[in-house]
Amino acid sequence: MAAKRRIRVTINGQIYEHEVEPRLLLIDYLRDVAGLLGTHYGCDTTSCGACTIIVDGRSAKSCTRFAVQADGQEILTVEGLACDGRLHPIQEAFWEHHALQCGFCTSGMLMSAYFLLSKNPNPTDADIKQGLAGNLCRCTGYLPIVAAVRSAAEKLTTKGRKP
Amino acid sequence: MSAGPNAGKLVGTPMRRKEDPEILLGQARYTQDVSLPGMLHAAILRSTSAHGRIDGVNVERALALPGVVAAYTGAQLKEVPYLNPMAPFPFQSRDPFQKGNPTIKFFDHYCLATDKVRFVGEPVAVVVATDRYIAEDGLDLIETDYEELPALVDTDRAQAAGAPLIYEDWGDNVMLKFRVSGGDVEQAFRDADVVIKEEIHSGRFTGTPIETRAVVASFEATTKNLTVWDTTQIPHPISTLIENTIALPELKVRVMAPRIGGGYGQKWSFYPEEVLISLLAILIRRPVKWVETRREHMVGTIHAREQIHRIEAAVRKDGTILGIKDHIFANIGAAYPTGGLASIVTTGMFVAGAYKIQNYAGEVTGVVTNKTPYGAHRGFGKSEACFVIERLIDIIAEHLSLDPPDVRLKNFIPPDDFPYVSVTGPRYDSGQYGRALTKAMELAEYSRWRAEQARYRREGKFLGIGTCLVVEPSSSTRMGSYNAGYYSVRMRMDPNGNVAVFPSGSDEGQGHATSISQLVADELSIPFDDIMVLEGDSLACPYGSGSYSSRFSVVGTTAATLAARQLKEKILNVASVMLQKHADLLELADGFVFVRENQKERVALKEVSRTAYFSIFRLPEGMEPGLEIIYHYRDPNIEFHADERGRVAMFSSFPYDAEVAVVEINPETGTLKILKFVTVHDCGNMLNPLIVRGQHLGALAHGFGGALYEELPYDENGQPLAASFKDYFLPTVMEIPELTFDHLVTPNPFTPGGFKGAGETGTVGPPAVLANAVEDALRPLGIKIRQVPLSPMYIWSLIQSARKRFSGRPTTHLGNSAAELLEQERRQRHRDLP
Repeated sequence: MAAKRRIRVTINGQIYEHEVEPRLLLIDYLRDVAGLLGTHYGCDTTSCGACTIIVDGRSAKSCTRFAVQADGQEILTVEGLACDGRLHPIQEAFWEHHALQCGFCTSGMLMSAYFLLSKNPNPTDADIKQGLAGNLCRCTGYLPIVAAVRSAAEKLTTKGRKP
Repeated sequence: MSAGPNAGKLVGTPMRRKEDPEILLGQARYTQDVSLPGMLHAAILRSTSAHGRIDGVNVERALALPGVVAAYTGAQLKEVPYLNPMAPFPFQSRDPFQKGNPTIKFFDHYCLATDKVRFVGEPVAVVVATDRYIAEDGLDLIETDYEELPALVDTDRAQAAGAPLIYEDWGDNVMLKFRVSGGDVEQAFRDADVVIKEEIHSGRFTGTPIETRAVVASFEATTKNLTVWDTTQIPHPISTLIENTIALPELKVRVMAPRIGGGYGQKWSFYPEEVLISLLAILIRRPVKWVETRREHMVGTIHAREQIHRIEAAVRKDGTILGIKDHIFANIGAAYPTGGLASIVTTGMFVAGAYKIQNYAGEVTGVVTNKTPYGAHRGFGKSEACFVIERLIDIIAEHLSLDPPDVRLKNFIPPDDFPYVSVTGPRYDSGQYGRALTKAMELAEYSRWRAEQARYRREGKFLGIGTCLVVEPSSSTRMGSYNAGYYSVRMRMDPNGNVAVFPSGSDEGQGHATSISQLVADELSIPFDDIMVLEGDSLACPYGSGSYSSRFSVVGTTAATLAARQLKEKILNVASVMLQKHADLLELADGFVFVRENQKERVALKEVSRTAYFSIFRLPEGMEPGLEIIYHYRDPNIEFHADERGRVAMFSSFPYDAEVAVVEINPETGTLKILKFVTVHDCGNMLNPLIVRGQHLGALAHGFGGALYEELPYDENGQPLAASFKDYFLPTVMEIPELTFDHLVTPNPFTPGGFKGAGETGTVGPPAVLANAVEDALRPLGIKIRQVPLSPMYIWSLIQSARKRFSGRPTTHLGNSAAELLEQERRQRHRDLP
């Protein structure tokens, strides 16, 4: 077993410092060390996107990164989307459009949608699909998710705010 | 009974779900999120050999690794005196119909392989360690020695004389044989103008929920209480099965399935890990957790669908189908306790589909092979039956030069015939198949696309139109099994007037809490948000068969409705004492019980509830205290008495779906583009149209996957060739076409709410309708589609073969030349008609 390394990560605005094994995956760090269980493990081959988070402003799949790679980085997880207990407009739109069923892929979907809208506030349907193409959902048939992201984009643009 | 879709305020309304905020906030807890003090982590070594005799498994080196707490082989666990083989499931009887038909063989599989391994992925040994990483390190240190045996992957080879035996004491490789028939099929064939013989294959694919399976077990040695958190659709049967398998005296098992990340049938099975992890918690006296990796899931969690149908149809020249004979061979992999046997019996029951065919003989053979065990998947056996009959209709139309929808319309069970007893016994509740198909064709602009197709063909392009009508029988019962044909609900109004509902199933994302709250809010006239639903706890909830076969919307909703009505009766009886008025004169609305004729005479519901709990001496003797009831609802449309021909009414509601697809094929790549897809769906009254639409869309996505992309191939040595999401292709958002979606509403006459099952028809249709469309597109090349998935490779290779066949003929482009040749063949065939 390789020697542990100290890392310092900002997650949802809060600083976490831990000694971790170099082989510890980032998803396991988030779930088992930081106790943030909203990020889900679904495939271990970077295929399903259930583990998607935002790292330094870019979407990333946390199942195929090491925790030590996140040293010094800023992470946003699904737990960090809502503000003062109020759903984020993307979350609100998912609720409104029945864009989730079992909910297991939902946190990853939300984070991919968040990243998309942060880069492209006025996406076309083709842009939305492109933005969600790395996330698998087995329940919804995707179309309600596309509708939710479209609606969230409209609401955010009207309010003139960034996601 | 009363109540249409909008009789109340909330039923029939597209309400957003009460389950969602917790999920959206990342606060919903799934089985893999369960963590207990002192918990250990298990990793499982699985067979890499498809068929081999175990000469030795040695875990000593793993045990020496720091952090490893325990490691076991199958041989070691077999020595545990109270461990039994896994109990059969769901037919717990060798003779479930009590008629000697089907015949079933069983094998005593233990939770880890003992003598032989029989498929790649079979659990062989286990390592338990302080964390998952170390447990997996331990797997690398286990030494295994298999004597390789010849692997069987093909049902014909497995049935051939001299084939190696997967279970030596069986004498052959046939696990199940079932015969079902009705009418006089031989006479039908004598009366036929044409007999059509075909072989149609259904490919192996599966549900792959994004949440893999997981089990966490915790054992209290003093009380012998074992709590098992489990990704299962059937908490109660699993608690019973674990108790039967781990026969430790005084063991009591509580199964918790609080929130499941998708099931689709894959979590309706009895798995070795459910026994193994429970047993480890007992042996080690510490909580143990196991979370399946995706690779484990692809080989260790059930597959479905793989069947060959050798089918014959007796047909009149006008397209009337007189009778059908079908020999069905299911490739069921290893003989594990799954729902696979029940699913293939179901296929045999529903080959006649939506059609009035009263002469039928089916024979189902379940053949074991060295593949992953075969089990349930959304569409459960009916998908395969539908694929075959809907393909057959198009083949008949082709033979007789008829338009396929006309053959459908000619043979549909007419609306006036419902309830309709099918040739195999089930009583179809209601339906308007002709209207649904006609509507779907109008929405799809069928005639316009036919004209367009002619233009495409002139240009040498390949456009095809497919139609199909899916009937997806739902809410099944199998006597002598864990599918017991009733649904129980416990319901309590507490002293503050809040209502708690405890259904006996489990929720894998269907939104049961929302649906039940809508029903109960209407019945008791209380706010939607004052209702709490607790599901998936075998101790707290009434015993039940769990969630499968779309049964919640049929029997679950009815049990909840009738429970609420019984609770209301009790409320009115208590209020009757308080108001000194006969209960018949009282009404319950908006949180009050009042006298109908004088609404000022009233008492708050909360007061009634408090009286029932805290002032029972105001109530007459004999009236039970409190406001808590349990209601058991027996499925009204089941008559489970199989006759000597195998006929039995084992499904109770019959949702259906008419689908039309227009596709264009690129002959150079074999890829297809869906230009139009229409679905006209009928699940009776809709409790929550938003949820119904979601269920149907999701089901369609599964259907597109199975039709176009998803396949679990094996090489000749039994090695799986798709064992991750890198080689098993689920549809992404990019693969879902725009859909035109409409409904008919034909209420189920057997339940008070008029609901049918919803959420499976969509899975069933796309393989059939897309195969029909692809064959239609490639008709100028004479290409026959006899299997799914319709992968680019499959289509491309068919086009290549056709090109070889037609090469050398003078042609400006391939299509026209081929069309001429095929037209000659068709004319020849018609001359041969009597």
